[in-house]
Amino acid sequence: MGALDALAASADPVDALNLRILKLENRLQRERAARLQAEEIAEKGLRDLYERQRQLELLETIATKANTGRSVEETFTFALDAICRHTGWPFGNVYRLDDASGELRPTPMWHAGDQERLSAFIERTQRTIFRTGEGLPGRVLQKGTATWIDNVALDPTLPRCHVAAECGLHAAFGFPILVGSEIRAVMEFFHRDVQALDEQLLTVMAQIGMQLGRVIERQQAEEKLIHDATHDPLTGLPNRMLFTDRLTRAVALRTRNPDNRYAVLFIDLDRFKLVNDSLGHAAGDALLTEIAARFAAVLESACTGDVLPTLARLGGDEFTILLEGAIENGEAIAIADRILETLAEPVEVERQKVYTSASIGIATCASYYTDATDIMRDADLAMYRAKASGRARIEMFDKSLHDKAIERLALESDLREALHNGEFVLHYQPIVALADRRVTGFEALVRWQRKTTGDLVAPGEFITLAEETGLIVFLGDWVLRKALQTLVGWQKQGIAASTLTMSVNVSPRQFHQHDFVAGVLSAIADTGADPACVRLEITEGVSIIDATRTAGIIQELRDAGIRVSIDDFGTGYSSLSYLHNLPFDALKIDRSFVASLKQKDDGHEIIQTILDLARNMGMEVVAEGTETADHVDMLRDMGCGFAQGYFFSRPVDAEAARALLAQVPD
Amino acid sequence: MKGVVFNLLEEAVSRQFGPETWDDLLDDADLPGAYTSLGNYSDAEIVALVSAAATKLGKTNAEILQWFGEEAMPILKERYPALFENHKSARNFILTVNSIIHPEVRKLYSGASCPFFHFREADEHSIVMGYESSRQMCDLAHGFVKGAANIYCEEVTIEHHSCMNHGADKCLMEIRWAH
Repeated sequence: MGALDALAASADPVDALNLRILKLENRLQRERAARLQAEEIAEKGLRDLYERQRQLELLETIATKANTGRSVEETFTFALDAICRHTGWPFGNVYRLDDASGELRPTPMWHAGDQERLSAFIERTQRTIFRTGEGLPGRVLQKGTATWIDNVALDPTLPRCHVAAECGLHAAFGFPILVGSEIRAVMEFFHRDVQALDEQLLTVMAQIGMQLGRVIERQQAEEKLIHDATHDPLTGLPNRMLFTDRLTRAVALRTRNPDNRYAVLFIDLDRFKLVNDSLGHAAGDALLTEIAARFAAVLESACTGDVLPTLARLGGDEFTILLEGAIENGEAIAIADRILETLAEPVEVERQKVYTSASIGIATCASYYTDATDIMRDADLAMYRAKASGRARIEMFDKSLHDKAIERLALESDLREALHNGEFVLHYQPIVALADRRVTGFEALVRWQRKTTGDLVAPGEFITLAEETGLIVFLGDWVLRKALQTLVGWQKQGIAASTLTMSVNVSPRQFHQHDFVAGVLSAIADTGADPACVRLEITEGVSIIDATRTAGIIQELRDAGIRVSIDDFGTGYSSLSYLHNLPFDALKIDRSFVASLKQKDDGHEIIQTILDLARNMGMEVVAEGTETADHVDMLRDMGCGFAQGYFFSRPVDAEAARALLAQVPD
Repeated sequence: MKGVVFNLLEEAVSRQFGPETWDDLLDDADLPGAYTSLGNYSDAEIVALVSAAATKLGKTNAEILQWFGEEAMPILKERYPALFENHKSARNFILTVNSIIHPEVRKLYSGASCPFFHFREADEHSIVMGYESSRQMCDLAHGFVKGAANIYCEEVTIEHHSCMNHGADKCLMEIRWAH
């Protein structure tokens, strides 16, 4: 029987009061206990909330840094420091994944609260590489998730268990730094005390790992952007931007110290367009890639420690090499030689052996270079001269090249003016039938009557430039129309027979215009010329670039009644098979063969061979450059049908040509 | 002042002098006396209670605070055993007041204004402790140190070199271990 029951049974009013007091005291005790319990629950809630809040603050601090940090190093170092400070764990460290080996390697990024005491542990950590599954970081790498160890001293399989214990470190956790689902790095922390798993902390750390991953991702994206902006996507070589940048630096270094020498090699592949046009762009790309690799191999073996090479692709078939350091002219030439040699071996593209060569221009450092553009221009000029003097050559830049270039620029400008002002005139040279010495036609030849000087400029001085600059297309059109106008005029005046022909030269560039045939037909229609009187003369150079297309165009012209001759026959590259495949009406023997008649027996034989060939193929033959009566006799005796040259008449203006027509042959 | 301090004082008074004494002190100080550990109360209330106790027991305020600090320590250990577990000595425990104990206090009571203690470990038998607070309760700190020593069964003497209660701008106490 309890005290309350005993008192309750009593009828004494004092007992009743005592009973009431006891009950009140019991109630007070209960209330007090409940209050303490409530306070305890509230305290735990507050403590957890506080921890959670602090962790969120940490996460937020790191996320903010991850969004604004300039580099991985800066952000990771900040994160290590912040985590150690917030959590009170004294040691934190980062490993980065080595892509090649798949191992985790230590980095210079770590944080130690008490560096002196932890020095042995830090030293060991700094020289330990972890494979997957090995140690704390290896376990993180294997599992792909945050990992906790209550006490490293109790696990002898951990490589650092002893040194950790010696330095007073016990609990540890690590978490992955992820880019997408890929682990790029692992962060680990150690505590002095043994600590039980803190799920909440580990969850926050996993989130921090995601945030830090974004920094790596961003840096990778930035690096890729910078790489892409400064490299050629096809060959992976530096592009013009990066090359110019390095050259600019080399020029600047040289101005500070003349011992910092450099040289620029400007390399242009010969006839690369031919490969692209005939085998397609994929083949062209494969060729460029292979060539880039060969160039790189040359530089790797040729450049010793004293010379630092940069190989770049500027675009198309243009490569450049910057050689920096102790580079003398002789070495630069030797390297250029090796570049040419490496192209001697054909490149196999789409199961075809492609032979290629390059023209190389070299410019070396000189005190007058103050920026990259100047030396690039000069190397480019030297390359042009190499190309012009017969391809597969090397040229060093010298000052005269520069002067020539300036002259050329001036000439180009004058040429444009001349076209605009109508400063061109046509001269005509008669073509004579050897059988009866009758004039059967004329070849129209352009001359430049310079307004400024009044000089008559020969075509040799401006045709090449007109061809290179594309002015030839306009000039050629003008020549064709003017020549046909003259012919039609003579015919209308009854001076010329209706069968009199007019030969007009067509340059390669003109010929390759996509609307070339249409342009010719339009000129004929506009002038009212008889297509049968029109003869277009093209050189061998035109025909070899793309024989099939050439044949098509010639056929189109012939279908329209126009006749086509091959000019300067015997000087170019054409083989008999080309000739056979191209439907020419006539062939013009180059003046050099005619000039060698009499002097050498073989001149005689070559002409005879050409005549036999032409006869077999049903082509007419015109001999150019006939200067003497002997030439005329011999050519006629050998069976050559037609000739032109000084023996009959030099090219003359329209007035004089009219007069020639009026003459009756002897 | 945090309610937990009032709770500790109530506990200490009740244990030694009975709950009626606590009721009397509240009555003498004219305070309602409903304190929860999580609450925040005017510093004047603790001062009034200390004064009431001093009057009632014929002691000085300083003596009451020292007594309170010493008595509060075992009660604290009952409530927050984790704070004491990792330490082998009072010295070690006392030195963690800034880095562990007060941070723990702040976890529970955001905005708690805990005093900061400067420690100078003069030699292995003594520590010089600096105290600076507008509450000027160096005697409470004195009591806490004593109480902590008792917990670890150590004997210390505490000497006040300078004291805010005697016009100094801060208090300096030397804690000396007997052995």
